[in-house]
Amino acid sequence: MTYLIRGKIALFIKVIFVTLIVSVLLLLAQSAFAQKEYVISAFLAIAVLLLALTYLTKISIPLKFFIPGILLLTAFVLGPILYTVTMSGFNYKTGNIISKEEAIVQIKVRGIESAPSGQTFDIKLGTYEGNPAILASDINTSEYFISTQGDRIPLVASALTFNEYGVAVEAPNFTPLTDSEFATADKLFTGARFTFDDRFFIALEGFEAGVVSQQVLEYLPESDQFKNLVNGGIYTDNGRGNYALTDDKNAILEPGWRAPIWFENYSKIVTDSRVREPLVRVFLWTVVFALLTVLTTFALGLLLALALNKPIRGRRIYRSILVLPYAMPSVMSILIWGGMFNTEFGAINTLLGTNIAWFSDPNFARVAVILVNLWLGFPYFYLISSGSLQAIPSELMEAAAIDGANPRQIFRKITLPLLLQILSPLLIASFAYNFNNFNLIYLLTGGGPRNELDGEIAGATDILISYTYKIAFGSGTQDLGLASAISLIIFILVASISLYSLRKSKVLETFA
Amino acid sequence: MKTKRFGFAGVIAAFALAVSTLVAPSANAATEIVVWADESRGPNLAKVIAAKGDWVSGYTVKVVTFSSFDALKDAFDKATDASGPDIVVGGNDWVPTGAKSGKLAPITLTAAVKARFNQTQFVDLTYKGKLYGVPVDINNVAMIYNTKLVSTAPKTFGEMVSNYKALKASKGLKAGLCIAGGGMSWGAHSVFSALGADAYQFNSRGGIVYGRAFNATTFGKNVRTYLMDGKKSNGFFPATDTGCKDNFLAGTVPYAVIGNWEWADYVAKGFTMNLMPVPGVADGTYGKMFGSVSGAMLTTFASKHGVESGAKSLLTNFFASTDGQVRYQALEKRPPAEKGAQADSTVSAAQRGFGSAASLAGIPQIGAFLNSNKGGANYWDSAPAYWTAVLIDGKDAVKEASKLASIWRANTDGGKGDL
Repeated sequence: MTYLIRGKIALFIKVIFVTLIVSVLLLLAQSAFAQKEYVISAFLAIAVLLLALTYLTKISIPLKFFIPGILLLTAFVLGPILYTVTMSGFNYKTGNIISKEEAIVQIKVRGIESAPSGQTFDIKLGTYEGNPAILASDINTSEYFISTQGDRIPLVASALTFNEYGVAVEAPNFTPLTDSEFATADKLFTGARFTFDDRFFIALEGFEAGVVSQQVLEYLPESDQFKNLVNGGIYTDNGRGNYALTDDKNAILEPGWRAPIWFENYSKIVTDSRVREPLVRVFLWTVVFALLTVLTTFALGLLLALALNKPIRGRRIYRSILVLPYAMPSVMSILIWGGMFNTEFGAINTLLGTNIAWFSDPNFARVAVILVNLWLGFPYFYLISSGSLQAIPSELMEAAAIDGANPRQIFRKITLPLLLQILSPLLIASFAYNFNNFNLIYLLTGGGPRNELDGEIAGATDILISYTYKIAFGSGTQDLGLASAISLIIFILVASISLYSLRKSKVLETFA
Repeated sequence: MKTKRFGFAGVIAAFALAVSTLVAPSANAATEIVVWADESRGPNLAKVIAAKGDWVSGYTVKVVTFSSFDALKDAFDKATDASGPDIVVGGNDWVPTGAKSGKLAPITLTAAVKARFNQTQFVDLTYKGKLYGVPVDINNVAMIYNTKLVSTAPKTFGEMVSNYKALKASKGLKAGLCIAGGGMSWGAHSVFSALGADAYQFNSRGGIVYGRAFNATTFGKNVRTYLMDGKKSNGFFPATDTGCKDNFLAGTVPYAVIGNWEWADYVAKGFTMNLMPVPGVADGTYGKMFGSVSGAMLTTFASKHGVESGAKSLLTNFFASTDGQVRYQALEKRPPAEKGAQADSTVSAAQRGFGSAASLAGIPQIGAFLNSNKGGANYWDSAPAYWTAVLIDGKDAVKEASKLASIWRANTDGGKGDL
């Protein structure tokens, strides 16, 4: 078998495999380029180049093993981190999403308003003397005319042909578009201004209707301003992603655009009491929640592992049952627990004969969160503790027993220290995971309870990541820039805590 | 050897380029109008539009269906110039954010098209004086009652409470009235308003008065009278909507507020029930409920795809037409928004029932206020907390109502500029 995939066959397989990968990446690069995602497109193109160089030359043998990991790490870890860092320096929120160029185009479009008369016409699209034109009919006033982008030609009814609704469909020198020409004419007619009078023009609203309109806002490219043609108001770039009225900074034109505001999102975390105060409380609860979760799940998992480490009848069945909570999708488990904790209809209150408002009282809600996470998390620690117990040489325990140590001393002085040494990285990883355990909080309590009536933003069980989510996506106004800044702080916190713990546990030394 | 390797690289690069060019996605055809809709509306729109192919001459219409309403909203939030739809069928609360973010484009309807709708329906789809879509279907809630538990329609809120107390022990009732559809804010607004907390305050001409809220004292006292025994809930009205539907179907709750989108499910389960607005404190009065509309909204992507006029024509020729709405609602089974379709003989009894409930006590949702947090909090986000504070935490019903009322005042006062 080994012989079969050497030589030309191996080369052929490699060529096919690399070709397929490169083809897919090129396709994605092309697609990204077409969607104007130039950074993604460039990254994919570089990835193609690197893959081809790595696998089709002998430039570096180790790189053949590392390059997939390096590319994936760049795409899915470094890329998002860099993007988050960048966005944290922008005014990037609802109303400030698109680019400035797009915003200018859209403000111009919104700067067209229908005339105060609200007059509209039934229209027929066509050409007049070779130019795009509309044949307009007002069936209420029997007013008919042909309008081009430079002229308006009045018509008399006797010269026209009408459809069953009284709308003119044919006129002298007017060539109507055929059905098949409509789609190709869309770009030509959309946005065109057909003459109405000196002040107003007719803008198309579909292929059947024209609305008498006027341009209210005009863009002045030389000064990068918008001018209100009705009242003379001037809107200038306020440096925060909007055109604002010179006399009233709060009067802005929409939509706005993403604009750099540098460190303002970070300073807002400190200076805005509505953000700062909940953040401190949420941070403290996040640390408590992550610590309690790790301690309780580890304690229960270890206890069960110790109990089932001894040969007892039905051990396999017990082990299978204990793994069940881990095997079940956590989303389902959380939702079921949510139902069971319901105050009025929940199974827990029914069984206990109580009427506890589990998700309305802050303390009970926190207890519920810890209990549910204990249910979800203990099988993991049971499994790894069981495995680790097997790895501890039994001679150590036997020697201690011969020296007169009782089981409690053996556990405290030998088993637990050795277990902790083995499991430290996993305990730290579990802490970091629970620091960001969004699913549990979001699905079980939604971060609540919180007293919205008193203006609270964060709930009693909100952890940093769910609080960030609320800021970013939780209400009608999404503040992605501020959420990015908080995410970055969370990242630094988790990374610092994890690194400190790893150093303290001296785990890294074992890899040295 | 190196030359040979680089030769291979050249071959592979050429081959890869060829393959990728062959399978490269073609740009949206300029004669195709793309409509995005959720898992319920999408398949029905696709069928109806395909059955009559000439809604807009010269164009084909492609309906893209998403797995849920939330998935649709999520996709629309992330849509780009290349991937975005030309028309999206969504909730009216999308209008303020979609318009602010430059994803929705304004439209101007002719008087003839406008006349096909109740004018208040346009309020839902308006932001800062501009219209962003046409009304497609009515979303409202109404109260149903289990005719096996209570044989007649209650005339007052107090009658429901009395019925509950009388039947509680013998029928094993878990609650009297609960919210199965619309949540403890929108769905429960009919209960709020039945007890005196109508969000919108109208003037004598029927216009909304901004910066004014309900009478917190009157409402709070009614809550104490009908929903509480001293400082505790009397069990008639649960503070959450969890389990409401199951308990109503199990016959342990006689009255429930449901959304019209859920009606078919209750019927499919063979349930016997009647439909009405939530009765008020006084005989002949009713709680107000939302008669809001979902809209077919024009996006700014249509212009970039070169199909803006075609998309506008689809809005008026199909979505805003009697013919289009009759055909569509024959499958979708929601109350149609268009007047001609509402009057059509094909409209079912349930569609009419919800329609008449809406006409008895329906109010517009007003997209501009839905997400307003002027004053620091949002009324609709905060409303569920009232029930928790009073019915579970035992806080003072009047004091908490005052807090809610002040949030509403701030929201409307600050948000009226967005209308």
